[in-house]
Amino acid sequence: MAAQEVAAQPSDTLATLKTESETLKTKLEEERAKLHDVELHQVAEKIEALGQFVMKTRRTLKGHGNKVLCMDWCKDKRRIVSSSQDGKVIVWDAFTTNKEHAVTMPCTWVMACAYAPSGCAVACGGLDNKCSVYPLSLDKNENLAAKKKSVAMHTNYLSACCFTNSDMQILTSSGDGTCALWDVESGQMLQSFHGHAADVLCLDLAPSETGNTFVSGGCDKKACVWDMRTGQCVQSFETHESDINSVRYYPSGDAFASGSDDATCRLYDLRADREVAIYSKESIIFGASSVDFSLSGRLLFGGYNDYTINVWDVLKGTRVSILFGHENRVSTLRVSPDGTAFCSGSWDHTLRIWA
Amino acid sequence: MSTTNNIAQARKLVEQLRIEAGIEQFSPFIRHDNRWQRMSTTNNIAQARKLVEQLRIEAGIERIKVSKAAADLMSYCEQHARSDPLLVGVPTSENPFKDKKPCIIL
Repeated sequence: MAAQEVAAQPSDTLATLKTESETLKTKLEEERAKLHDVELHQVAEKIEALGQFVMKTRRTLKGHGNKVLCMDWCKDKRRIVSSSQDGKVIVWDAFTTNKEHAVTMPCTWVMACAYAPSGCAVACGGLDNKCSVYPLSLDKNENLAAKKKSVAMHTNYLSACCFTNSDMQILTSSGDGTCALWDVESGQMLQSFHGHAADVLCLDLAPSETGNTFVSGGCDKKACVWDMRTGQCVQSFETHESDINSVRYYPSGDAFASGSDDATCRLYDLRADREVAIYSKESIIFGASSVDFSLSGRLLFGGYNDYTINVWDVLKGTRVSILFGHENRVSTLRVSPDGTAFCSGSWDHTLRIWA
Repeated sequence: MSTTNNIAQARKLVEQLRIEAGIEQFSPFIRHDNRWQRMSTTNNIAQARKLVEQLRIEAGIERIKVSKAAADLMSYCEQHARSDPLLVGVPTSENPFKDKKPCIIL
């Protein structure tokens, strides 16, 4: 839908525009409320409850010298890239726990890292305000830093990065309040996304079947869904009470979950255009730093700042399990591409594979 | 190049001072091309107009009922439940992370 240019009227004053925006906000809420005929957990009452889950740490990846900030799986379901506060980016073989590659970034706090779909490169960035791509060499002796390519340039820290469906384009989000789409080869910005009123902390690309959109979450407590072709924000959701640290699409692409410093995770349905579930407990008072769904979307894993991982039944809204093991905040969490395990990274310098 | 850097630095300093003085978050109109925007009346109207534009788009989208959306989410879960290893559990022999030996590597 092309943006409707609001024609500049000479009578436009700040006051009239403010009134119109208030009216529109109310109208938006009314429209959304009209369709709110039932709660998700009510509809889910008729399905069977989940049984007891036994999930344990199967591997512990040790080697980072400081807080692990981000991790990503390779499409081959066994390799993992992780980045840390000490500036190191490590590629691991999760089956054997061996380190395959290590790169030292010129900056500390490497807050974002991503594996390329081909498995031949990794992207990372952080306080250097850039996103750089490192092609992975089969030759262990080769210095990876030599082939580094600077792709994205922001005016504040890089908070998240993600390859689109190919190695050729990268999506980034930054503390400067914007997201951007870049061409890896030329370093050219293909599209920029403005709309957040504060740092953007996370983003997730929609599953390929559902088209060219992505969702971002920020310190302005808003989650925004963007059209990648036009740069337009097509939907936004503002129900969290604090910074949104993590957003992740539901496997079907029709919904997404978010984890926030307000100690809740929430599920937003895109077609109903509203929040449909809140995952919270009075006993959980620390923020959720990262969330991810299991393959079927029935389970939501949340890594929290109180060192635990809570497993939620997405449909019923209840917690099914709580996992202990990390000795400091869980900062990042991703389910493997084939859903057989998930990996969590923590400020305790380690990564754990759970299954 | 140095002028752009100076403007960028100056803006960063102002941002920091605003935070310290307890003023609202920085203006959402700091564009990527680093052009400096002074807070004038024209700018406020431009911002307000952009907000109205955005709200019109969001108010105008097609929505479905929560009951329908919830039903679809449930049916997706049901369809894919059997092939979700973390949900149903796979035998040790099929999960590469679960060791076949009796002790677990920590």
